[in-house]
Amino acid sequence: MSDVNNNGISRRSVLKGAAIGGVGLAAGGSLLAGCGTKKVTGDVHFTIRGNLSDAGAKIAIAANDAYTKKTGNKVISQAVNSDDFQNNFVQIMQGTPDDAFGWMAGWRTNARADAGLLADVSDQIKALGKSLSPAAIQGATNPKDGKQYIIPTTYYPWGLHYRKSTMQELGLNPESIATWDDLIKLCEATQKKGLVGYALGDKGGWEAMGTFDILNMRLNGYQFHIDLLNGKEKWTDAKVVDVFTHMGQLIPYMNKNVLDISWDGMRDLLLQKKCGAMMMGSWFANDFKAKSQADYDDLWIVPFPEINPEHGVDSIDAPLDGISVAANGKNVEGGKDLAGFLGTKEGIDAAVAAGDTNIYISSDFDTSSYDAFNKQKLAVLGAAKNIGFFLDRDTRGDFAGPVVGPAIQSFLKNPKDLTKILDNTQKQWDALPAL
Amino acid sequence: MRTTTANKKIRSRRSLSRNDRFTLAAFIGIPTLMQIIFLWLPALITIILSFTYWNGINVSDIKWAGLANYKNIFFGTPVFYEALKNNAIWLLWFTFLATPLGILLAYQIDRKIKGHKIYETVFYIPVVLSLAIIGIIWNFMLQPGGFVQGVMGRDIGNAVSIWGNYSINTYVIMGVASWRHIGYIMLLYLAGLKSVDSSLREASAIDGATEWQTFRKIILPTMRPVNIIIVVITIIESLRAFDLVYIIYGTSTAWPLLNILVFQNFAGQGISMKGAAYAVILLVLCIGPILLYLRNVFKEDLK
Repeated sequence: MSDVNNNGISRRSVLKGAAIGGVGLAAGGSLLAGCGTKKVTGDVHFTIRGNLSDAGAKIAIAANDAYTKKTGNKVISQAVNSDDFQNNFVQIMQGTPDDAFGWMAGWRTNARADAGLLADVSDQIKALGKSLSPAAIQGATNPKDGKQYIIPTTYYPWGLHYRKSTMQELGLNPESIATWDDLIKLCEATQKKGLVGYALGDKGGWEAMGTFDILNMRLNGYQFHIDLLNGKEKWTDAKVVDVFTHMGQLIPYMNKNVLDISWDGMRDLLLQKKCGAMMMGSWFANDFKAKSQADYDDLWIVPFPEINPEHGVDSIDAPLDGISVAANGKNVEGGKDLAGFLGTKEGIDAAVAAGDTNIYISSDFDTSSYDAFNKQKLAVLGAAKNIGFFLDRDTRGDFAGPVVGPAIQSFLKNPKDLTKILDNTQKQWDALPAL
Repeated sequence: MRTTTANKKIRSRRSLSRNDRFTLAAFIGIPTLMQIIFLWLPALITIILSFTYWNGINVSDIKWAGLANYKNIFFGTPVFYEALKNNAIWLLWFTFLATPLGILLAYQIDRKIKGHKIYETVFYIPVVLSLAIIGIIWNFMLQPGGFVQGVMGRDIGNAVSIWGNYSINTYVIMGVASWRHIGYIMLLYLAGLKSVDSSLREASAIDGATEWQTFRKIILPTMRPVNIIIVVITIIESLRAFDLVYIIYGTSTAWPLLNILVFQNFAGQGISMKGAAYAVILLVLCIGPILLYLRNVFKEDLK
């Protein structure tokens, strides 16, 4: 059944590609000349992940408005709680989903594409042409069939964030930290001044995965990290114990309510100048900008320091975000058209004009206009050779949330239980059915 | 013999007109059909699915897994036992603290102690709120940056750890859940008490019974039907607990409950149908004690 769907979709997308005017697809268009080069029409429904009051929602609406202005097709946006949308994704996609929505590259896209829930947007990617780097396209490609089911738009680095003003007042310079000892000293010095040394929240169960990822990549290298997340290495390995030992060394410098706060609590710690360094993805910077330009200008990011010279700082978590199209939407062609538009210069310009601080992948976007923080983000990204997508996108969904999340929480709760926790994590991986 | 049965048939037929029979069929048939379609069928399917591996998308992908999901839960998932423990604590807390307290309150209010109207209102108000709303309210009060923390002069950086402090969070959650449960039980019991013949009480008072004796020997036995309802409600509420904790902790199993595990494993993440297995375990747990209790009750009634 899904085959039929896929065929239908790809045929129609050829049509659509011709409509956009994708040069490479002219042949396909003429094959189907009987149908003519129809313009994509009709209302497009778009899901915004988050609250309507969020900065992100305003940006999405602005970009969608630009699409309406260009094509005359109305975009009906609705905001949906991000966690609910992710958790119920399979159910939503099997019902009557919105045509397009912001989504995440990696496991969450590929597994759902394999199940026939997402529409193939390879033609839109082709139409975007050289504006997307081969690496970005590679990141958005489903390894099973070599097609793309997400139009990559933005990405962001995970790194140590801090406020320049806070560090200046403390007389510290995080930009000079090069080693693990430097980081510990920085945390210690911050804590001595009465601030939180290493801000962390893990109530949501995923926030601390960022710290786990980077420690694993720094200590054991990118390849080990990815192999571990895909079952080729064991959680009981001494190398993994080492990762948690390092995480344990950070616990004394953390806020005492790690399991009470979520990512937004971490953000507020930094926003309210209550902490020094915070390991987080830069996407929250939009909220700083929404608060005030001064707060945003004060924000800075540096790469997590080197721990093992063998791996240096060659890896980073930089999740790739983008727009996906539901295979079961009412207006699949419209969804694809909108998704394609959001990846073009016009779409990006509209989003940036509305205050988007994300870094766009598209080379059509003029990076010289980036503000200092974005340039720093690019520099942090540029320092790394290997790019991870973040734990819950690099491994299967029934392992990340239900197993690794609680494991890290248990460790933060009771570091002495480590052996038991890791034994159990491995046991649960072994019990997973083959995909 | 023949004639009597025939007569009986005719009589029973006569006693119900066509209209009556149609109404009866509609009144019993439609709800039964709906129960079967919307409750029993999905329950049956869940039971079957709990023995399979499936990602919930294409029916053709369903793979037989035997007892693998259950084995995984019982032998490989420590969070299951934590959830079981939390559900048990919930049940014990409700049974031995919240429910008796609700009954006590109802009894005192029924005696029209001074200010009973005020007490009644105060304890009743939380009952009109759903547990989800109660979760939102108390989360807003107690979380870092919340109201209570603010009153204590704690900002988000040095907020007192409550939801994440494992030596107290269970009690706080129990307290919040009881906040509503006590009022609920009080309300049910109060309604029952109103129907107790006051002459019974007067009689026992004349016979020189103490307050406790009156309650134990007179009130409690006359309240039997209400008692059954309260026992059943207490068990069900404890086992089906979900919304309050979900609002506070989300799907992360920081304070697991069986229902949260069902939800977490169902929420489009996996392919193992472990969620279905959790649901079946919960179903067995729910049905077991209630069937036992009801059977006991009916047995006594038959005597």
